[in-house]
Amino acid sequence: MQRRTVLLFALSVVLLSGVVSVQAQDVTLRYFMWDPSFEESEQQMVDICAAELGINVEMEVIGTPDYWTNLQAQAAAGDLPDIFSMSSGFVDEWIADGLLLNIQEYIDRDIMPEADNYFTGLLDVARAPDKTTGDAYAFPFAFVETVLFYNLDAFDAAGIEYPSEEGWTWDEFLAAAQALTIDEGDDGVIDQYGYWFYGRYAHIESWVYNNGGSFLSDDRTAFAPNDAAVETLEFLVSLVQEHGVAPVRSEMDGIRQQDVFPLGLAAMWVDGAWNISNNRDQLEGTDVRWGLAPIPQGPSAEGPAAYGWPDLMGISAGTETPDEAWAFVHCMTGPLRTVELTFPGKIPVYRPTAESEAWLELDLMPANKSFLLDWAVYTGPTSFTPGWGEWRGYVDGAGLEGQIDAAVAGDLTVEEALAAAGETADAVLGRFYGDE
Amino acid sequence: MRYKKITPYLFIAPMLIGLILFRLGPIVAALFISFTKWNIRTPPEYLGLANYTEMFASETFWLVLKNTLVFAVAYVPGVMILALIMALLVNQKLRGIGFYRALFFMPYITSMVAVAMVWNWIFSTRFGILNNTLRSLFGTSNTAWLNDYPLWVLIIVTIWKTSGFQMMIYVAGLQGIPGYLYEAARIDGATRWQQFRYITLPLLSPITFFILIFSIIAAFRTFEVTFAMTGGGPLNRSTTLAYYIYQNAFVFNRMGFASSLAYVLMFIVGVITVLNFYGRRRWVIKDTY
Repeated sequence: MQRRTVLLFALSVVLLSGVVSVQAQDVTLRYFMWDPSFEESEQQMVDICAAELGINVEMEVIGTPDYWTNLQAQAAAGDLPDIFSMSSGFVDEWIADGLLLNIQEYIDRDIMPEADNYFTGLLDVARAPDKTTGDAYAFPFAFVETVLFYNLDAFDAAGIEYPSEEGWTWDEFLAAAQALTIDEGDDGVIDQYGYWFYGRYAHIESWVYNNGGSFLSDDRTAFAPNDAAVETLEFLVSLVQEHGVAPVRSEMDGIRQQDVFPLGLAAMWVDGAWNISNNRDQLEGTDVRWGLAPIPQGPSAEGPAAYGWPDLMGISAGTETPDEAWAFVHCMTGPLRTVELTFPGKIPVYRPTAESEAWLELDLMPANKSFLLDWAVYTGPTSFTPGWGEWRGYVDGAGLEGQIDAAVAGDLTVEEALAAAGETADAVLGRFYGDE
Repeated sequence: MRYKKITPYLFIAPMLIGLILFRLGPIVAALFISFTKWNIRTPPEYLGLANYTEMFASETFWLVLKNTLVFAVAYVPGVMILALIMALLVNQKLRGIGFYRALFFMPYITSMVAVAMVWNWIFSTRFGILNNTLRSLFGTSNTAWLNDYPLWVLIIVTIWKTSGFQMMIYVAGLQGIPGYLYEAARIDGATRWQQFRYITLPLLSPITFFILIFSIIAAFRTFEVTFAMTGGGPLNRSTTLAYYIYQNAFVFNRMGFASSLAYVLMFIVGVITVLNFYGRRRWVIKDTY
């Protein structure tokens, strides 16, 4: 009896070990994503890759800016997800803090042999310590850029030509904006402005770069706007103060800034091409036609300059399953992500998908989505630095954004605004590049 | 079960453990963190008094402190007066009065996000009902309320949202005042104002003192309405200290600096509270009927 009991016990141990080891082979990854509007499509893509790789993937979605608060809390707790969305604006800080996995080895093995199928130039933003020769610490899943949105119907009604795809000059832009600024009832209330903007980075930087301007020093460690940047801001301020073709920001209080253009309150607008999705949502059921054009070039321009950057997927440096995490990233950014599962307005990193006719979505607005690929070749600098969110005023509307808004409203001159913004920017940059 | 000296402590132990872990512990930890540079993602680095030095030399800090004091000075009397008026109105034996009490209390339990959306729309420069009404009635031009008067917008919205809670406390206080005092006063020929001035107000003083302390603390802790409506803008003109702490801690990842701000806030609120407790002898009636 005792011998039988011992044998039964030993058999149970062997069987249970087998069960445990089988369970240990099941891999479950945690994936944290920042775009609730794209959750359904992304979940479909996650399911495809999970099935393809034979792993489990749990996706969680939180919109920005809460996404960053949440992610940082997880980093502090040592419990980062295996894979998470990462911004070009913050990737340098996360690399410096040792939180992102070095994926150069995976890229050399899986991406470079078919480099022609990827926009590999997008990797540079995630390289460290050197932006061209360093190892990569995150992988781009899409490229985003700012464009000039314009309302074709408004242009037709005003009897003016559409912006050329070679790009307007500032004078041509101003003439169009004046023709498009309409007070229908002649009651002093502008029903349609020619243009809409405020101090937001996606509204301003592309104008500066298309005038040969810059906000940063050559080594990107100090706030040093050059004359061309000042000239650009003075031109933009004049659109409101002198020409009346754009409103002050406060006039659009209570309306989401990304709704001003699709609501027909402005005929032109510069912002990220990711707004294609919102434009389609707001204009659903209407026949409104709208298109994309280059940002006008100023008198000091050195050539066209697209203000763009990749959105990235990062792998936690502490992940216990780096191979599976990379395989998931590779799958999510490869040929299995068909056009239906790409984010409207973002160029997928997988070149065959981006260059396919299906991606052009010829049956949907914008009328000329192919412009995004043409414009992307002119990608130039960005203003991203460590601490960028703070000195640029990305979240709180203070910093450079708030100072530009004050200048546009006539409360400050452009020089005063830049001086005040510079104090904040240098204090922030000093924490990263100077002595505490 | 035999009673032991340790028994009462066992009963309050769960509460004490919770207080130590989730209140006292973080308070003490924040003190140490305030002497460091810590971005939450990497280990903290000792800085000494640098955070406090930076704070007192910062123009933004003094602007934020000024905003917070203005908010408190306007909010506290505003909410107390409005709450008292509403309490006097609903403390009547009328049919359906419960409906009105619930109605006045409803903003307090409504989500701040929903409140912010509606009030942002009301104050909208171009499409807001406030500007439209003023334009129709008085022919005024549109005012950019959220841009030109952001702090006062937050004060008005906060008073509207929270006065229902203070109202209910006042109602409880009013119902604790014996009716025969008013009867005796009426017999002696006291007017309604005299009854209010010499009976209601003095006997409400303990409740008023409680609401005063509560409202001051609430004013200095204002965060939700700022987060939901103005984001502290434009250019920090509506940023209050609690929101500034949040910005530095969770937006700019400056836990050390945020902790030093939190200690300054705690010190200010503590001093005001202590001063109030000393001052209560002058106007709070200790013994009530």
